[in-house]
Amino acid sequence: MTLENEYAILTNHLTKKFKDFIAVNDLDLKVKKGEIYGLLGPNGAGKTTIIKMLASIRNPTKGKASVLGEEIPDGNIASKIGYMPQETGIYLGLTVDQNMKFYGRIFNLKREEIEKREDELLKFVDLEDWKYEMVENLSGGMKHRVSLACTLIHQPELLFLDEPTVGVDPELRESFWKYFQQLKENGATILITTHYMDEARHCDRIGFIQRGKLIAEDTPANLLKNSGKDSLEDAFLLFSRKEDKDLKEVMA
Amino acid sequence: MKFYRIMAISRRVFRDVANDKRSLAMLFLAPIFAMCVFGVAFSGDVENVNVIIVNQDQGLTSPLGGTTYLSTEIINNLNTTTLNIQNMTNLDEARLKVENGQSSAVIIFPEDFSKNAFLKSQNQSYPLNAEIIIEGDDSITNIKNAILKSVNQAISDTLTENGITPAIKVTSDPIYGKDAEFIDFFVPGILAFVVYLLTTILTLITFVGERSNGTLERVLASPVTEGEVVTGYAITFSTFGVLQVALLMIIAIMVFNIMVVGNVILAFFAVAILAIACQALGILLSSLAKRPEQAIQFFPFVILPVFLLSGVFWPVQAIPYWLRPFSYIVPPTYAVDACRAVMLKGWGLDKIWPDLLALLIFALFFLFLAVWTLKRGKK
Ligand SMILES: Nc1ncnc2c1ncn2[C@@H]1O[C@H](COP(=O)(O)OP(=O)(O)O)[C@@H](O)[C@H]1O
Ligand SMILES: [Mg+2]
Repeated sequence: MTLENEYAILTNHLTKKFKDFIAVNDLDLKVKKGEIYGLLGPNGAGKTTIIKMLASIRNPTKGKASVLGEEIPDGNIASKIGYMPQETGIYLGLTVDQNMKFYGRIFNLKREEIEKREDELLKFVDLEDWKYEMVENLSGGMKHRVSLACTLIHQPELLFLDEPTVGVDPELRESFWKYFQQLKENGATILITTHYMDEARHCDRIGFIQRGKLIAEDTPANLLKNSGKDSLEDAFLLFSRKEDKDLKEVMA
Repeated sequence: MKFYRIMAISRRVFRDVANDKRSLAMLFLAPIFAMCVFGVAFSGDVENVNVIIVNQDQGLTSPLGGTTYLSTEIINNLNTTTLNIQNMTNLDEARLKVENGQSSAVIIFPEDFSKNAFLKSQNQSYPLNAEIIIEGDDSITNIKNAILKSVNQAISDTLTENGITPAIKVTSDPIYGKDAEFIDFFVPGILAFVVYLLTTILTLITFVGERSNGTLERVLASPVTEGEVVTGYAITFSTFGVLQVALLMIIAIMVFNIMVVGNVILAFFAVAILAIACQALGILLSSLAKRPEQAIQFFPFVILPVFLLSGVFWPVQAIPYWLRPFSYIVPPTYAVDACRAVMLKGWGLDKIWPDLLALLIFALFFLFLAVWTLKRGKK
């Protein structure tokens, strides 16, 4: 099996600078096909920027990345990708139904297929009764659910979910994760970002991101074991401090 | 470029606007309101305008004896519903009345009026022109126009009666053409202006929203390209532009009786290209706004230059000379000109093509820039 077949995402020294500010620093990320990979880190760590580069909506400053076997930026893989932006990315002035139809149409789905997917997804996110409601009238958590439903309408192989659970109540959050597991079982690969350390335990593997760098990466269990801590939060802090120390030593 | 994706975008933008009652009102009610306000303010037929006639004409004495006064004939032909005529002999006193606001204008027939008129009509190379001088309070355009129009009408009636064709010069340039009322001049301009303003502002607001709520990025992460987004917007907004103009025209014709002598399809066409340029301009401007509120700060820059320069309210020829080049870099100038030429003068494609070409160039240029800024956003 070649690397391209085994990995959905492979990056090589991927770097993004905004003027002199390095938002993503020399990132080598490998995400296997069919896994749920969590990018974990505080606000401003660079998680969103990583996802945007992989979704071909930001160009890397340096380095390379291949997504689903194609070097990015690439227009041909776009139809296999589902991107859920942090800002929810749905039209407030349209109804739930109009949003979903629009996102279905741009992927060239047939009308019956859109209808069918829409019903399934609205049932899943528990918004069947809100189908014809204006999105601006929905609560924050409901908007996130609509956003997720729109992301999934074309049954993407690879999902980029940027903080999908922000503002979603704990109960629904659990069901989101159950659904992610289900998508994974159907063969999807998921790259998910979060700054909620506790929910990262649902991921197959986690990458700790700090100041644009991948400072540690492993399964949740191994990260806990290797750090000797009993929460991912503490583990992150440990790795983060270690990173700072290394940096100082290098500087000295 | 895939047609179904362009149409999906176009449809969505259409829905977005159609769903929002305020946007709809802005697109369709605001212009009607504006047109009516201006229309009522400017169009009412002016009546009972006080004017003073100072007739110094010595007439023309023919070799056979007998003196003809062309001036008297013209004066008799003046419309007395429009004008409230008072005759005076002392020019200075007459001027004083205008200065005091008791009268709107002094109409002066100089001594050699009849003589010059007849000599000129017999021999075109005769060096002097018969001249009527109107010294008026020009601050109120439509009164000034009413006077001018009456005088011109009386001249042409008199000349027809006498079967002569001397050039009689009315000093005080007729600004808006012979038969056109201000509203006739105004409506074609306001059509183009309204389309410019509302298209630019609405795309600006919509697109700033697209940038800040993540929808633009979600769409660009899908197979949709930057060019398809811009084209989708262009289709919707040019359609809205034509709808706006059609509606305004119907109302202008029904309520204000405006004259339309040309082929309105050409006017629609000009306005549709203008709308395409404007939506691209809106997208361009949106790239400069970081937050939706900032978009509002652009409004003065969108409105004022065009208000002043495009020739909507006064002709481009009335703009100070040094400012005029700027008129030609605001796209609505060409649409105003095209609409006016089509509706007032009945010009066809053979004559208005330079306007359409200019609009097309602006549209392509802005479309290109809009796509470029969207691509640059990836940096
Ligand atoms: N377009 C941009 N221009 C300048 N700086 C940016 C831009 N986008 C992100 N950044 C900066 O890059 C850093 C990483 O941002 P982001 O990827 O959004 O982090 P995260 O998603 O982990 O919170 C932040 O410090 C942010 O201010
Ligand atoms: Mg983020």
